[in-house]
Amino acid sequence: MIRRLLVANRGEIALRVIRACRELGIQAVAIYSDADQRAAHVRAADFAVRVGPPPASESYLNIGAVIEAARSTQADAVHPGYGFLSENAAFAEACERAGLIFVGPPADAMAKMGSKIAARALMQRAGVPVVPGQTPTDQSDAGVIAAAAAVGFPVLVKASAGGGGKGMRVAADLDSLREAIPAARREASAAFGDGTLYVERRIERPRHIEVQIMGDAHGNLVHLFERECSIQRRHQKAIEESPSTALTDRLRQQMGEAAVAAARGAGYRNAGTIEFLLDGEGDSARFYFLEMNTRLQVEHGVTEAVTGTDLVRAQLQVAVGEPLPWRQDQLTQRGHAVECRVYAEDPANGFLPQAGTLRLYREPAGPGIRIDSGVEEGTDVPVQYDPMLAKLIASGDTRTAAIARASAALRRFPILGVRTNVAWLIRTLNHPEFLAGRLHTAFVDEHAGDLISSAQPTAAAMAAAAIASRDRNTPQANGTTPVSDPWSTLRGWGR
Amino acid sequence: MAEHLIAVRSGDASRTVRLDDDGRATVEETTFTIVQAPAAGEMIATHGERVERLFVSAVGDAIWVFHDGITYELSIDEPGATVRRQHSGSLSAPMPATVVSVHARPGDAVTRGTTLIVLEAMKMELPVRAPSDGVVAAVHCAPGDLVQPGTPLIELQ
Repeated sequence: MIRRLLVANRGEIALRVIRACRELGIQAVAIYSDADQRAAHVRAADFAVRVGPPPASESYLNIGAVIEAARSTQADAVHPGYGFLSENAAFAEACERAGLIFVGPPADAMAKMGSKIAARALMQRAGVPVVPGQTPTDQSDAGVIAAAAAVGFPVLVKASAGGGGKGMRVAADLDSLREAIPAARREASAAFGDGTLYVERRIERPRHIEVQIMGDAHGNLVHLFERECSIQRRHQKAIEESPSTALTDRLRQQMGEAAVAAARGAGYRNAGTIEFLLDGEGDSARFYFLEMNTRLQVEHGVTEAVTGTDLVRAQLQVAVGEPLPWRQDQLTQRGHAVECRVYAEDPANGFLPQAGTLRLYREPAGPGIRIDSGVEEGTDVPVQYDPMLAKLIASGDTRTAAIARASAALRRFPILGVRTNVAWLIRTLNHPEFLAGRLHTAFVDEHAGDLISSAQPTAAAMAAAAIASRDRNTPQANGTTPVSDPWSTLRGWGR
Repeated sequence: MAEHLIAVRSGDASRTVRLDDDGRATVEETTFTIVQAPAAGEMIATHGERVERLFVSAVGDAIWVFHDGITYELSIDEPGATVRRQHSGSLSAPMPATVVSVHARPGDAVTRGTTLIVLEAMKMELPVRAPSDGVVAAVHCAPGDLVQPGTPLIELQ
């Protein structure tokens, strides 16, 4: 049994893990950078250790400092959360060497799945479909064309040596491919010093569908169904839901089995996610392995809501060798859940991250509403870390009910002082295409114009601003409380 | 009964709100009675039997109002001003930023183009320069401060 657990993270996920510790009678150790000395996760813990200055590279990513914090507090286990060191095999190994239980997969499984090429090869051996593609041995134009014909149009031609979109060309047919090859080869050479080309099937407007899996040390592996995460901006998820509107029962079962096979092939334990691209919908849809995330996901709460499980609790149990708390046939999806990630960002300005003080922050509550957040009124949102403020998870009997709950709750989620995506989330949830369940990974770009609010202030908002400004400018000499006084709530304000 | 006229601005548009001493505010033809809710920063605006719930906070010199899922960033036009004045004689950050260094003290005479403050945002340094010759009246920031757009950083006379 774990007695004392160090949470190697910050923000909402650190609080999520600390809550699970409380329920299991485990003492929690927080770590913090100088930017987070007063943060909520520090105050929620039983012990707290400073690990360095604000930049993550010198604090939350500093393996030596994190291991030392575990040693000095006599912790016996480490939960990495997501992000930071969670998918760092060297960190998992360092924990093992220090005699700490790492709440996650074995380091070698993490390393295997961390390499895209090795993971792809592993998936093919495990019989999991991957996006058709090949590096032709004959790199002449004719060789690349033959490879494209084998893979099937439309294709993506890209540098075999690297990523980042360099040298990448889309070709819908043979003619456009003939034009694309020389340019792709030149760009690949220029970027990577290697003109070798890779040809891959281009999947048009795919859905991003992932399957949650969980394994224990006794060879038990289950899947906890899918999450659809097609609503993304800047290649980062913004809205996730379960079940997906695109899956039939048959496809859901196939994807679940493929995910379990993938995890088994990797020798996986603990919580993980297999990400797939889905091409089409219904029984004829095809799915392809994209990558595996060897950690708890931000959006794990969606799965918890529809399956009635506690994934973090289960993580802590299997980490010490207990068997999985559920068999596959005990797991069901019930109702529907939607998660909205509330970010400090400006949707009207390319989703630019925002930082500053939360002058006012009031979370909504109600039936079917769960909010996981790492901030409070008065929190300084630092520039150094991810700008996610909170996750709002709404569940209901049906997709329509869950969306309506999410939308109504967001309309009662005031956050002032830092720009957020709240209005953007509401518009996205209520977009006719979203309501119809017609999602794909280009949704946000395609409907960008519909999703950004440019509403003129309401008369009531104007009136409230006028009242507030009068109260600011009128000294209350007689000692009475002004009608409204937002300024009295501000700390450190006044010049 | 005294009545105050307050011009509330949103972007390029400004509307006049008439206030009386009893907490009533009239925007065009609609008169709201506004009371403070028990929680600071929350207001209830009623007109007839219609109830609106609002959340209000000062952010720099702006007033942010949250109403029904949308946040409006509003400001108040100074009485008598004919053109929009954000901070006459003061300079503010163009985006949320960290103050890297401050190169002026109150009383310093500066010439147009002098770098007064260096900010950092999105891993880029942004110099804040004097828009005209003048004397520094006040400095409102220090190295390490996190500043929001609209917050005056320095004032020139």
